[in-house]
Amino acid sequence: MLLVPCPNCGPRNAADLTYRGESHARPDPNTATREEWRTYLYLRDNPSGWLRESWYCSSGCRTHFQIERHTFTGELREPLLPGSKTGGES
Amino acid sequence: MADLTLTNLTPTPKTTIRAAADTAAAAELGLTFGSSERRDGDLVVRIRPDEWLVIGSTATVDALDLSGFASRIDTTHSRLLFRLTGDLAAKVMEKVCSLDFADHMTPNGACAGASVAKTTCDIVRDDVDRVPSYLVLCDTSFRDYLRGAIEDAMTEFVGA
Ligand SMILES: [Zn+2]
Repeated sequence: MLLVPCPNCGPRNAADLTYRGESHARPDPNTATREEWRTYLYLRDNPSGWLRESWYCSSGCRTHFQIERHTFTGELREPLLPGSKTGGES
Repeated sequence: MADLTLTNLTPTPKTTIRAAADTAAAAELGLTFGSSERRDGDLVVRIRPDEWLVIGSTATVDALDLSGFASRIDTTHSRLLFRLTGDLAAKVMEKVCSLDFADHMTPNGACAGASVAKTTCDIVRDDVDRVPSYLVLCDTSFRDYLRGAIEDAMTEFVGA
């Protein structure tokens, strides 16, 4: 079982959340090229190491948040609520 | 030793209030996320950062100032309400839900949204005469399934 620290609810079973995948900044729709849109929509880094990703606390507080997960060790750190710059308490 | 009981309290009036942090309703309802309190016989539950449940009557809700970004929905008939009571109630809940029901993690008054037997539920600990008791709320369409799942979990502890 993967324990995901929701910034609101604290550590919760990953089955209570929905995985939303890698987080990437959305390009400016007024200036982005087709290649930048394609990269944003379809291309993933898939690193072996730390990855910033989005989760949705679907059974709990119904909040989207970001977190860093180590794809090799499974460690999780720095859960962030939208709009915050520093990690919340886990 | 209090035996395990599962009762269906669905007809109890229930209201969901959603209110932005800067509204009068949010200030009046108060509480910290994850806690609940009895007020004039109603149970007021802050089940999400921007959402409260009021269980018991509509008196508390009728008195609310719902100006601004705030709304109320009568969920009496759309949400079922089960009460699981007994000294081993936490053990039963742990069979069907991944929350930690130890007293220090889920004390009397605590609440959380969580999946119970894979259905998305709201859970409130609301002890009765110092006997552990949990309210479970869920969409009414899951009534028979959820009752069956909890009763199945209870069978292990009957006579224990
Ligand atoms: Zn949460």
